[in-house]
Amino acid sequence: MSDEDVLGWVAGSNGWGKFNNGPMNAPIIDPLQGDFPEVIEEYLQHGLMKCIAFNRRGTLLAAGCTDGSCVIWDFETRGIAKELRDKDCVAAITSVCWSKYGHRILVSAADKSLTLWDVVSGEKITRITLQQTPLLARLHPGSSSSSLCLACPLSSAPMIVDLSTGNTTVLPVTVPEVDNGVVPPSRNKSSDGLPFTPTAACFNKSGDLVYVGNSKGEILIIDHKSIQVHAMVPTSGSAVIKNIVFSRNGQYLLTNSNDRTIRIYENLLPLKDGFTALEDMNKTVDEVAGVEKMKAVGSKCLALFREFQDTITKVHWKAPCFSGDGEWVIGGSASKGEHKIYIWDRAGHLVKILEGPKEALIDLAWHPVHPIIISVSLTGLVYIWAKDHTENWSAFAPDFKELEENEEYVEREDEFDLIPETEKVKESDINEDDEVDIVTVEKDNFSDSDLSQEELCFLPATPCPDVSEQQDKCMGSSSKLMDSNNSGSPLSEEAGQNGQATNHASSPLEEDTGGTRMKRKRKPSEKGLELQAGRVRKPLKPLKSSGRLSKLRSKPVTDLDNGNGIYGDDISD
Amino acid sequence: MSSGGSQQPPPYKPYRHIRTLRAHERAVSCVKFSNDGKLLASASLDKTLILWSSPDFSLIHRLIGHSEGVSDLAWSSDSHYICSASDDRTLRIWDSRAPFDCLKILKGHSDFVFCVNFNPQSNLIVSGSFDETIRIWEVKTGKCVRVFRAHSMPVTSVHFNRDGSLIVSGSHDGSCKIWEASSGTCLKTLIDDKSPAVSFVKFSPNGKFILVATLDSTLKLWNYATGKFLKIYSGHTNRVYCITSTFSVTNGKYIVSGSEDKCVYLWDLQQKTMVQKLEGHTDTVISVTCHPTENKIASAGLDVDRTIRIWLQD
Repeated sequence: MSDEDVLGWVAGSNGWGKFNNGPMNAPIIDPLQGDFPEVIEEYLQHGLMKCIAFNRRGTLLAAGCTDGSCVIWDFETRGIAKELRDKDCVAAITSVCWSKYGHRILVSAADKSLTLWDVVSGEKITRITLQQTPLLARLHPGSSSSSLCLACPLSSAPMIVDLSTGNTTVLPVTVPEVDNGVVPPSRNKSSDGLPFTPTAACFNKSGDLVYVGNSKGEILIIDHKSIQVHAMVPTSGSAVIKNIVFSRNGQYLLTNSNDRTIRIYENLLPLKDGFTALEDMNKTVDEVAGVEKMKAVGSKCLALFREFQDTITKVHWKAPCFSGDGEWVIGGSASKGEHKIYIWDRAGHLVKILEGPKEALIDLAWHPVHPIIISVSLTGLVYIWAKDHTENWSAFAPDFKELEENEEYVEREDEFDLIPETEKVKESDINEDDEVDIVTVEKDNFSDSDLSQEELCFLPATPCPDVSEQQDKCMGSSSKLMDSNNSGSPLSEEAGQNGQATNHASSPLEEDTGGTRMKRKRKPSEKGLELQAGRVRKPLKPLKSSGRLSKLRSKPVTDLDNGNGIYGDDISD
Repeated sequence: MSSGGSQQPPPYKPYRHIRTLRAHERAVSCVKFSNDGKLLASASLDKTLILWSSPDFSLIHRLIGHSEGVSDLAWSSDSHYICSASDDRTLRIWDSRAPFDCLKILKGHSDFVFCVNFNPQSNLIVSGSFDETIRIWEVKTGKCVRVFRAHSMPVTSVHFNRDGSLIVSGSHDGSCKIWEASSGTCLKTLIDDKSPAVSFVKFSPNGKFILVATLDSTLKLWNYATGKFLKIYSGHTNRVYCITSTFSVTNGKYIVSGSEDKCVYLWDLQQKTMVQKLEGHTDTVISVTCHPTENKIASAGLDVDRTIRIWLQD
């Protein structure tokens, strides 16, 4: 239960203690740094990336590309650790999902396929073609060896797919009109064959239940073994639910609906054996039946906690998700031609809007451990948002303390005594006889009772042999391939030459240009600053990092010229 | 009694000398067992490194390429690669498997490269130099990804903690600094009151403490989070060279260090008592390494000696 204990938040409390989510063994890393990202630190470029997912510890980032390949970035070095590519997989990837311990990746693609990859070997384990294009596919989170996955197709109900057999089980998306033939539902909603809208679904943390968000704005809790709806929670807006996502610790669920609202629910079921608890509840709730009963049970499963919307711009949300620790919720603006990420704290306040280049945002992820957000732009670039790095000068001189403002210094009574009192104390409080433990390591946040399989955190880095002192040759083979693709596209040629100024602002799609060449950028330049245009909305509560915010405020929002500069640069180098 | 009721430790069994390896033509500067325990690598001022087989200590291969003496070496976690640091201002990454190619030359330091280590993930290398900087290199591409203007004197030692999130550096300027590996932020500076030059520093196996050697013949176990010394080990001689020390954890817990009196010293980790002094080298013992699983120590001697000695605890 360590996950829950360490990461959980206490519902209903307003102030909250910060948890130190820093890496283990790092007690000196400032725990207060666990804030939210502010600026684009770097961007990753390789092909046209469409969707992203971190592995459990955030050491590797998988990105699905339009050409059907899947790139795995070493998030530490920000270099490519692996490329999953197969001649059968050439259609755009619609989603990527890591297995619990990171050994496998499931990708869904526009050619209706689901492909399971072995990460270390880079080989395809299996490939299944569905009737419909899966927009989203999620591996069963529980047992690492499970071959089950949940797929949400474009225009049919979500289904459980057994990747080893290819068997599919379609899940219900509406509450059955007649429950076991006993009592008819109280009111019949339009049950006749409405045109299907994609239905959102996700597993709960242990994977024994599936939470479906349907087109009527209902959340259904389904046991996927018996294919039975056990509970139902209507949302207030009754609008189509587009996304449904659990927080990493499984304690909170968010939905994103067509009514432009992100709703956060608290999961009232126990994190383990949620299904058993649900069954028990079903037995005890017997004063009502049918839909009413499901609602009654539903109200004991999920409790509405927060609702987020932008009442002024009435923007639709894209790819909302929780931060790794569940402290924050982010949602991208679904408006075309803007790259805005809204950050809310769990008290319900909008704390920041990150604004990137004028490119539509198509996917979002928050690093499982660090205050880092990854956003994918329609141009196929992946932006890494991080905290604005500031030097802690007092770290260099242990006796110095950094002050926010001038303070009048009051000398200590013994400060200029020849043998100050305090230093004597310092000498004597070392007890050299205390036993020290140099070996034991505390369990970290990710520790799990199930240690049946070792977690894959890193792919071995193989040094590419130097070729005639030209280190860039490393990527020779792949980039050559890319270049040949690239030259085939008239768009890119045009852009490379003179199309820059006109292309940029109008349509992000046309900016594909240099996108197919592999490249990555480091933070240093004005480029980063230009890309960064984090604008600050009036925070509703004082923020710790006020100094930094004021700096940002003076930064103008990215304008056309900046944008051109960025792309011009890309092409020329 | 003082150690808080833990049971009586088993009586100390002494190490004995079993082999002497002679192949380097100048001082041996560094010896390190690979992480899988199958190989031993040595670096020397004779500009070469030698790979030895660990079970029988036969010479497997001599790695030739550096144009100046080699000061330090490090193994990747999977024992496939060795990175060497040389006075020719470069680091080299070598394959420890046939044909033992030099895969990469890492260029960037403007003075002798003095110390090197891989991170546990082995996708990054950290190096320290006489140019007073620390550099971080990407293993795959060999590119320098970060430079810290770290110290005001040569950097004598750099080491990653066990999850790779922190780097500790030590310098002749008398300070140890802890860096956040991902951002390059200096998190803490540790200075002894008397601030003698720091000749060596490394994290404990669990990353909670640092073992610091200073040129006043003292080894200290330091809690870097609180800034307090936990244990002080002394008795050996260390006033000139950057002598390495290490933790022995295969049979009881000991601190092992070289010494300028030509001996290898072993102290009980908790009691701080010197338990054995291994005699045999004919010059300063500059480097020691403990086998990852067996009770075996290898030690290296400077110019008069030029040998590697293997010590075994029965």
